[in-house]
Amino acid sequence: MTTRDDNVVIRSLTQIGACGLFLLTVLAAIPRSMRHGRETLRQIWFVGAMSLTIVMTCGLFVGMVLGLQLYDVLSIFGGTSATGTVVAIAIYRELGPVVTALLFAGRAGTSITAEIGLMRATDQLDAMEMMAVDPVAYVAAPRFLAGVIALPLLGVVFCAMGVFGGHLVGVTWLGIDNGTFWSNMTAAVDVHKDIINGVLLKSFAFGIVVSLIAVFQGYTTPPTSEGVAYATTRTVVASSIAILALDFVLTSFLI
Amino acid sequence: MTQRRSYAVGTGLFIVLGFAALAYLATQTTSVANSRQGSSYPVETRFANVGQLKVRAPVKIAGVRVGSVQAIDLVPGKEEAKVTLSIDDNHKDIPDDSVATIYTSGLLGDQYVGIQFGRSKNPVKEGGELGLTRPAQQLEEMLGKFFGGGSAPDHLGGTFHVTGNFTNIGGLQVGAAVKMAGVPIGSVDSIVIKPGSSEATVTLAIDKRYSQIPDDSAAAVFTSGLIGSQYVALQPGGSPEYLQEGDELVLTQSAMQLEDLIGKFLVNGSPSNNKNGGASGDAKPDNAGKK
Repeated sequence: MTTRDDNVVIRSLTQIGACGLFLLTVLAAIPRSMRHGRETLRQIWFVGAMSLTIVMTCGLFVGMVLGLQLYDVLSIFGGTSATGTVVAIAIYRELGPVVTALLFAGRAGTSITAEIGLMRATDQLDAMEMMAVDPVAYVAAPRFLAGVIALPLLGVVFCAMGVFGGHLVGVTWLGIDNGTFWSNMTAAVDVHKDIINGVLLKSFAFGIVVSLIAVFQGYTTPPTSEGVAYATTRTVVASSIAILALDFVLTSFLI
Repeated sequence: MTQRRSYAVGTGLFIVLGFAALAYLATQTTSVANSRQGSSYPVETRFANVGQLKVRAPVKIAGVRVGSVQAIDLVPGKEEAKVTLSIDDNHKDIPDDSVATIYTSGLLGDQYVGIQFGRSKNPVKEGGELGLTRPAQQLEEMLGKFFGGGSAPDHLGGTFHVTGNFTNIGGLQVGAAVKMAGVPIGSVDSIVIKPGSSEATVTLAIDKRYSQIPDDSAAAVFTSGLIGSQYVALQPGGSPEYLQEGDELVLTQSAMQLEDLIGKFLVNGSPSNNKNGGASGDAKPDNAGKK
């Protein structure tokens, strides 16, 4: 496919092209993978439910630190009552989806890549083909689907924890009025713009990108232990870049 | 099998938790009224200027939200905006001679449409029009009126030049307006620092129509509006002699730096703020100490 002689541009283009084709393959395999519904469920458990702890903890702390910082800055202008508004909007529109996706890439993306990569390295995928089990439908598609389903849910949980963290610091600790905190927030946050377009749509897009990169990197790993290591690293690097770049593009369309 | 069931239960819990969080976000942190698409009826209004009014901005009566702005269009062929308001069905009793006004919530807040009831017995019909409107007050115009700001005159019928020395011209730029009693009478022609001087020499080009300006008039650099541009204001003196080409204005007042003013204001204001947050401010060191 690629040789060492190709320069970095050709190599990247080849990767992107192969990744795009792989997306089509996976999408085409999704109906067939429905026979393995339990496998998808197990993957949602593995990539989604098992990531809850880290996502909830991080969401709480992101919300808390935002509350603290905003209170500090806004008190200069006597506008501490806007803390809740800004915490909610910042988390819904940017931090929630992006940080969740980054955490997801590190927590779940790497394990997907390593798992599939090791399957590749130990010829399990070839063995499946020999047994007339389509490895794309049985291995790749359920993991991809699980990631796409799990990430928006995780993003929403992150946001809820973030707002809770902001409330904890702003109201419980720093003494912003509880009613002001909530009423300013509800007045400014819009269901359509902030929650549907902000949290859900972005998380969904990031879910597609992160899961695709993770599955693709695992599936195309060179079948060596070194190859698996590189593929895992590439998953994190490529996902992070893709998330942040896609975030900018999506924001410029949605804003 | 038990292993599989625990996966299924865990996954189910995760999905339920996700949707619970979504429901929490959607109901607790947003105003459901903001997005409620209950039955409503349209009412048309026309404004000379909608300012920063946006679609889905609230419509309020006595400060209570009764609907939202549905659409903002330009009336074809006219310099007029057609704003379609969507008002909730349970507010059917708006008199048809009510006045629609575009307000701003707070100094920097969003704009909304406020409706003041008229005296008519007939309620406005579905799809009807509120004929009486007041356009958005542009902050610039308001501040402009307040501070005597505005723009430089468009065309000048010949000018004569006078100079003035300022210790600080602030953000004054070439082309800025020169005003007397708030009326633009000329523009700033050049701003230089003469060699060996620490003062800025500003040359003003004044319209020849305004030739009868006393030669002991004072020149001051003012700012139009909160964040507006700066201009030179002439305050007439009492001398019987008039300014001539090439004269120098001796009495000058340098620019007030907005930063200084606001700084003073904020610094004076902040101690009380600190007092309000005093209880929480005390809590911080305590906590730090415990750690």
